Amino acid sequence: MPKLKINGKDVEVPQGSTIIQAFKASGVEICHYCWHPGLSVAGVCRLCMVQIEGIPKLQIACNTEVKEGMVVNNTAQGVQETVKWGLDFHLINHPLDCPICDQAGECGLQDQYMQFGQYDPQMAEHKVKKHKVIDLGPTVVLDSERCILCSRCVRFMDEVSKTHELGIFNRGDRSEIGTVEGKPLANNYSLNTVDICPVGALTSKDFRFRQRVWYLKEADSICPGCSTGCNVKVSYNEEGLWRIKPRENKEVNGYWMCDVGRDSYKFVNLKGRLLGGRVGRRGSWQDVDVVDAARSAGLKLRETVEKFGPDSVALVLTGQFTNEEYKDLLGFFVSNLKSKNVFHWLNNPDKVNEFDGLLFRGDRNPNTKGLVGAMIAAGVSGKWESLQSGLAGKKIKLVLVAGPENQAVFPDLEEKVKFLGQAESLVWMTSGTSTVLDQVMAETWQIPLKTYIEKAGSFTTYQGKVQSFKLGTTIVAQALNLSEVAELLAGRDLNWNLRPGGVGGVKVNYSTAQRGAL
Amino acid sequence: MGQTRLLTEHYDKPEFQKLDGYKKHGGYAVLPKALGMDPKAITEQVKASGLRGRGGAGFPTGTKWSFLPANGEPRYLLCNADEGEPGTFKDRLMMERAPHQLIEGMIISAFAIASKKSYIYVRGEYDYSKAVLRTALDEAYQAGYLGKNILGSGFDHDMDVYSGAGAYICGEETGMISSLEGLKGQPKLKPPFPAVKGYLRKPTIVNNVETLAAVKYIIRDGGAAYRKYGTEKSPGTKLFSVSGSVVKPGNIEVPLGMPLKDIIFDLCGGLKPGRKLKAVIPGGSSAPVLTADEAMKAAMDYECLAQMGSMLGSGAIIVIDDSHSMVDLLQVTLHFYHHESCGQCTPCREGTGWISKILHDIVAGHAETKDIDLVKKISEQMMGKTICALSDAAAMPAISFVTKFRSEFEQHIQAAKSASGGLHHA
Amino acid sequence: MSLVKRPDAKAEWFLPGILAGLWFTLKKMLWNLFNQQKMQTLNYPEQKYEYGPRFKGNHVLTVKKDGSIRCTACMLCATNCPAQCIKITAAENPDPSVEKYPIAYEIDVLRCVFCGFCEEACPVDAIRMGPEWQTAALNGSKFTYDIQQLAYRPQLKGGVLSVLDDQERHQAGI
Repeated sequence: MPKLKINGKDVEVPQGSTIIQAFKASGVEICHYCWHPGLSVAGVCRLCMVQIEGIPKLQIACNTEVKEGMVVNNTAQGVQETVKWGLDFHLINHPLDCPICDQAGECGLQDQYMQFGQYDPQMAEHKVKKHKVIDLGPTVVLDSERCILCSRCVRFMDEVSKTHELGIFNRGDRSEIGTVEGKPLANNYSLNTVDICPVGALTSKDFRFRQRVWYLKEADSICPGCSTGCNVKVSYNEEGLWRIKPRENKEVNGYWMCDVGRDSYKFVNLKGRLLGGRVGRRGSWQDVDVVDAARSAGLKLRETVEKFGPDSVALVLTGQFTNEEYKDLLGFFVSNLKSKNVFHWLNNPDKVNEFDGLLFRGDRNPNTKGLVGAMIAAGVSGKWESLQSGLAGKKIKLVLVAGPENQAVFPDLEEKVKFLGQAESLVWMTSGTSTVLDQVMAETWQIPLKTYIEKAGSFTTYQGKVQSFKLGTTIVAQALNLSEVAELLAGRDLNWNLRPGGVGGVKVNYSTAQRGAL
Repeated sequence: MGQTRLLTEHYDKPEFQKLDGYKKHGGYAVLPKALGMDPKAITEQVKASGLRGRGGAGFPTGTKWSFLPANGEPRYLLCNADEGEPGTFKDRLMMERAPHQLIEGMIISAFAIASKKSYIYVRGEYDYSKAVLRTALDEAYQAGYLGKNILGSGFDHDMDVYSGAGAYICGEETGMISSLEGLKGQPKLKPPFPAVKGYLRKPTIVNNVETLAAVKYIIRDGGAAYRKYGTEKSPGTKLFSVSGSVVKPGNIEVPLGMPLKDIIFDLCGGLKPGRKLKAVIPGGSSAPVLTADEAMKAAMDYECLAQMGSMLGSGAIIVIDDSHSMVDLLQVTLHFYHHESCGQCTPCREGTGWISKILHDIVAGHAETKDIDLVKKISEQMMGKTICALSDAAAMPAISFVTKFRSEFEQHIQAAKSASGGLHHA
Repeated sequence: MSLVKRPDAKAEWFLPGILAGLWFTLKKMLWNLFNQQKMQTLNYPEQKYEYGPRFKGNHVLTVKKDGSIRCTACMLCATNCPAQCIKITAAENPDPSVEKYPIAYEIDVLRCVFCGFCEEACPVDAIRMGPEWQTAALNGSKFTYDIQQLAYRPQLKGGVLSVLDDQERHQAGI
């Protein structure tokens, strides 16, 4: 474990670390663009220059291995001037695109320029003009003028996704990133290049121009897209969720996440969400307060159990809820109602063990392992056949369903709704609306649920690792999580002080909204 | 005082190009002697001779060979025949007139470093050199000087010619290695150095054409004999390519340490009639320029020129007389470096473009006097910050021209400004 | 000397004070009557005050030479606005040299404090505070101005030209 001195501070790092890793470990700031901890060293931006005692020329920190007793400095006048000129060289051909560039607010060049004093440029020559708004593929747009040729995206394609779709064409200051004719940038990890691009050269078609980043806050969470459980951070504001980016976790997902998981913010936003409780049948719904809906469903549930016994009710669960919710709901159903009819609705059993080699798994539920574990802990293991026979034989009179929040990955939704709607009563708990429920003959209660970003809890990955997350933001204040539903179904009351208020989903200027005719 | 024809002794004989003619004049006589020596002894002789790389860097060749790690990995020998440095045309002479001299020198060097495969990387524009070399290689293979069990010594060696495609940066050793590997010809980060991890990440030695050919003569006469020519720190002879405003331009071979004025006025017939010496670039366009006064005092060896702030480089002497404009010359030079930058690292990629554009403005009459200081400042900031030395190669002439000929630049700016109406385009 | 002046009986008479005040008012009225040109009060609407060129009135969104909106939807004005009354929705322009433009730009003028921060923040001279201030309406909802009203209202005669032209800037090499 060699020790070195950085700007006078003592730092100890593992053997084989480079100086820039020592900087990162000790929290001292150093400017860099082409180095990324998840990629190989390129050493092309020449900004991470440091002064090493005993070596007359400045060295780059990303390619110099730490030796015991090194004395490194990057605050001296000479180093600061070199780094400032390095920034200058990056800016002389950079277009004046800040107003239209998505990276504004999280751009390395902007931050560094502000740090070095907002000086006037000395470049009075024509800037190099290159192609702009180039469609690289279904997800990414390229702007060659903004590109600083750090080669992070090229190295990502070569080393991480191993699809080699990007290369640098031409030479000198005419160099441009590009794809080869007939092979666009189309793989499941393409949007990671947008994350690692330090400037606005690569932009996401999904997020392009929709919002400015300084209006957004970030919340840490776990991606609900599949059982890998990539650590993510979700960008949101009062209007809803805007995008998802990966967080570093060396054990689970490294520095990356797949493109499919990035769509997991869409089913959380207000559009398509169930906003309140609904009771009815055959398409005619009555909107009721969610607490009333849950209470009346609970009443029906307990009545059915009293009249026909615990085997007349069934609970169908999907692997999309947190461990805490499963524990509470199963606690109520199994211990309280004494029913053993708990069934696991698996949406794609034939694809469960698929794995694309990097991050994306075939099991598209974040907490299948948690659900299986909770069912074992509660001592239930319902077979789907007994549910079928129970419904066919009219033995099961009421079915309680914790439906999927990510409806896109449940291709059998319509079929299952029809199947489960054979019962006399159906309590469908879900976060999104679904027109399929309009066809159900049974007396149906729809109870809105909170999505993964609106609750605190934990998911268990396919490996059995439990990852907890805190509440991010609330989109639908009316919705409940399964623990609260369990309380209401049992006939108890909720602690209203603990329920967070919602954000409404719309940036409302209240005086304008209330202003009509004055 | 004439030339010292050590390497170029038989270049005036056309038959020297072919195997029979080469053998008639003592060719392939040193190879059996070398194959009978211990490879380490060959390296010792080269070290003792003090041979320095003739391609431009001037690094002691024996020392470079001793950097090879003893880890059992296969080793490669690469001959740098890219000859991209503007003003240099000496390697072409050897490849066209005496390909077997190079081949023999390479086989001896490969034996010394225990390399089984070598390449001659020839720049793409040298069609005739490539053709001559390929024919010579065929002849050498047929005669048993290449291939398996050369001359019954048990040493196997294969040699090939590889063509460049018009990039100056592929003359940089790691740029050349990248090009040979089939990648874009972009230099690699050093460390690791090519001697440790080079071609295909294996230990590689990259040497210039002239260096490898000189090895034969060092082994023939012994290292100490090589030291009889030249100076103590710069031993041996060197091929210089003299061009520009002289009566007899061309390649000459002289001992290192010869005064520059002797080369220009004795060997090359002096300046063209009616012209006066203004400046001399002693080592290819990357070398800082010498004023006429400095040129008259200079001796052509590594130390003297380094002391004067310039460098021996590849040995391309460009003679400039008073009819040439230093401003135009610098503009052409910087345009070349801008065009040839590989584009990997930012200071070179952007900096060469910037100073080239400023020079265009100066020539066209759109510049101010402060732009001269700007060129100097940018060039100073480009030096020492990059992966390879192209950035330094562009910065050094820029700094030397605007420092030593500042008055000419200022006059040009004033004259052009009054001619064009003094408009500065944005 | 004591700071408190003990009033004598005469000072407790309020009548002189009243008369002094009335006399002051009368003096002013008579002066105004005979110097109507120098009067402070304007007889609006026959006489209107001529504000200076930098007067901050209703906003004007400038246009480019071809008539399209100059604004690039950078949202600096919305960020800088202390009253948070600007709402912008950006969109991709099919012309790659324009790239970004607002499809919706709304200013809630009743919230606006006419500080001019939006004009200061704009990097491309897309929004200016114009000279108009006489805009009354009968309904509060009419005070949310959209692009049509901000850039193309009849008073602007087809649109005010912006001083920053991207085409000229690109040709100059910047």
